[in-house]
Amino acid sequence: MYRKFYLILLLTSAIVLLAFSIVATVKEVTPEWKQYQSEYKEMFIAKAKDPEIAEQAKSFQIGHKQIYLNTLERVDRCMNCHIGVDNPLMAGADHPYKQHSGNYLDNHPIAKFGCTVCHDGQGRATNKKEAHATDLDTHWDTPILPAKYIESACARCHDKEMLKDSGAEKVAQGEMLFREKGCRGCHKLAGVGGVLGKALDGIGSQPKHYFSLRHVEGDKTTYAWLQEHFVDPRAIVPDSEMRVVLNGEEADLLTTYVLTIKTDEIPKQYRRISNYKDTPADGESLYKMYCIACHTDGKYSIYDELFKRTIPAVMSPDFIRTIDDAFLKKIINDGRKDTQMTAWKPDAAGLTDDELNRIVTYMTRNRSGEKPAPFGYSNFTVNKKSGQEIYDVRCASCHGIMARAGEGYLGIDLTNPVIQSADPEFLAITIRDGRKGTTMVPFGAKGLKLSDQDIADIVAYLRTFAQMKHNQGNMK
Amino acid sequence: MISIMKGLNGMNKLLVLLLLIIVMIPAGMPLAQDESGEMSDEEYEAMLEKGKKVYEVRCLLCHGENGDGNGFSGIIRRAEKNGRVLEIYPRDLTMAVFRFRTTPTGCLSDDQDLIDIISNGVPRSFMPAHKELPIEDVEATKEYIKTFSYRWEEEDACDPIAVSKPDWIGSADSVVKGKKIYQDMKCGECHGYDGKGDGPKSNDLKDDWGKQILPFNFATGDLKRGSSAENVYITFTTGLDGTGMPSYEDSLNEEDRWHLVSYTLKLMKP
Repeated sequence: MYRKFYLILLLTSAIVLLAFSIVATVKEVTPEWKQYQSEYKEMFIAKAKDPEIAEQAKSFQIGHKQIYLNTLERVDRCMNCHIGVDNPLMAGADHPYKQHSGNYLDNHPIAKFGCTVCHDGQGRATNKKEAHATDLDTHWDTPILPAKYIESACARCHDKEMLKDSGAEKVAQGEMLFREKGCRGCHKLAGVGGVLGKALDGIGSQPKHYFSLRHVEGDKTTYAWLQEHFVDPRAIVPDSEMRVVLNGEEADLLTTYVLTIKTDEIPKQYRRISNYKDTPADGESLYKMYCIACHTDGKYSIYDELFKRTIPAVMSPDFIRTIDDAFLKKIINDGRKDTQMTAWKPDAAGLTDDELNRIVTYMTRNRSGEKPAPFGYSNFTVNKKSGQEIYDVRCASCHGIMARAGEGYLGIDLTNPVIQSADPEFLAITIRDGRKGTTMVPFGAKGLKLSDQDIADIVAYLRTFAQMKHNQGNMK
Repeated sequence: MISIMKGLNGMNKLLVLLLLIIVMIPAGMPLAQDESGEMSDEEYEAMLEKGKKVYEVRCLLCHGENGDGNGFSGIIRRAEKNGRVLEIYPRDLTMAVFRFRTTPTGCLSDDQDLIDIISNGVPRSFMPAHKELPIEDVEATKEYIKTFSYRWEEEDACDPIAVSKPDWIGSADSVVKGKKIYQDMKCGECHGYDGKGDGPKSNDLKDDWGKQILPFNFATGDLKRGSSAENVYITFTTGLDGTGMPSYEDSLNEEDRWHLVSYTLKLMKP
């Protein structure tokens, strides 16, 4: 009695199966590349004037094109669609039939280099979506590199000296930005650099899934993440403390450079090494590389809304003429605990002793010959209690009652080991003469007219902050 | 006293009463003075002297000897925007133009406005609070500050603006209406279309002293005046005199100003 039912069931499933098979077969025998190749053949034949080339055009076989690159461990099938890539007749054609621009293929024959070694993307794929792999659902780590960043690929084999004026200026310009904007003030590269940001080693080879792409507006890729985050760091990483913000053009250049920071190495026989060595950076370059992102030109102190504290004016003339080289070096060396100031010593941020000396020499290059008048702190009999009374009225507005400063305070944290270990003479002179370029006003004869005794008392009091408990904050 | 009086005869009673009245008049006088707010010249001078002392210790370093905002500190802060560094000076007190008032635009501040600013400071502007300062000192300082501008002698005081917050503030409907007003009133030209202080005019704003200023970026947290609905409303109503922020007392009705409050609060906490 159920025979009819089973018969219908059998027939329907047979029809469905047949439909699937037909669709699958049609899809399989007419892939998009076949379409491109037959159109290419027609164009080729139409364009070919020379009888010999016309013969070539006519004998063009439609079928899988692939390059197997043993040394590079790559299989590239891009020419399935980009079929005219090495055909001069296709110079004016549209994508994907177009000939490769420039003379790059002369020096980088496709048979030896393939495509993905420069352009990235999924070489084995045979359709556009999977080959270009810019969509998240293709799950391919290295999507095709957009033309504006393509020069980053040159640096896989060539060093920056060769690239500087031979077609990859963007890498050289990006590298310049990388140094001059002070990226390594926060980011370590090859073990050297600040600790506020992530280390950048191999960032150009990191798959896109290493990045939070949620806020990226363009392609969900590493390069789009990089570019957008250089323009507006907090749009991409909401709690980013990155101070440096670039315009769109600079961001493109820096992205090009950052993409060259890779871990995977191209085999030696492909690389062109010019035995070029970086000359050791001078003090100015080092200052730019490691300090400028926060301290800018060092002339003024800036209250930073991201750090929620004041960034000191490290090259204020008053500061430089009061401080001696050894103490300045110690400050850079040890950094400033609990602030964004990294310890730059060899076993922390990784600067060598020699580099630290060069930075100190650069910072003090304009030191005026005139030393500040000595204060003579040791000649005073100090009274901490009286110092506290003056401190609470005069100094607490900017440094906080507990001297921790920080958010909402113009002054700096006076409980910090760097200041607590400073020579009292240095502190007294600073209070007496103030510091130009900052809001530290002269409290001595040139300014608010506190007596030297009062200043000595304040110094004595503030030197007791070393013992204060760490977490007391600024509140009374 | 009645028992004492009982023991006296009529004439003596009258004498004692008279005596009592004479004794009590001077005792009552200071009370009468306080009530009327009048003060003898000497007392006023003493108050100014006291205010001057406080000013010299606590205010002079930024606001300067003459109250013109050119103290020893000079530029109080440098703000960075689009690679440009803006220099922000301490307030010039000689014009008696203040942003945070409860009085209509163009008016002098109310005494209580000045007292509030001295005592509580202005957060995010580095004007410190002086909560530990006794109120007499704050009042004395306030009086001393008034000596910097002739306006305090020549102009009449204005009444503070009353604020009564409607209970629908922050409702979805009110936020939508507020957003429309934000667009219609072109708030975004300075404050940015998303309230991030990056509107097309935001780069060329100057205050009444000709110094560059920045429109507020609502994404950065609390307002200097405080972020309550009442505070935002009073800013729309009084304007921030001396800056580019005008009063909307005449151009928006009270209800619309409150809708704009709803939207502003939403911009601050999306």
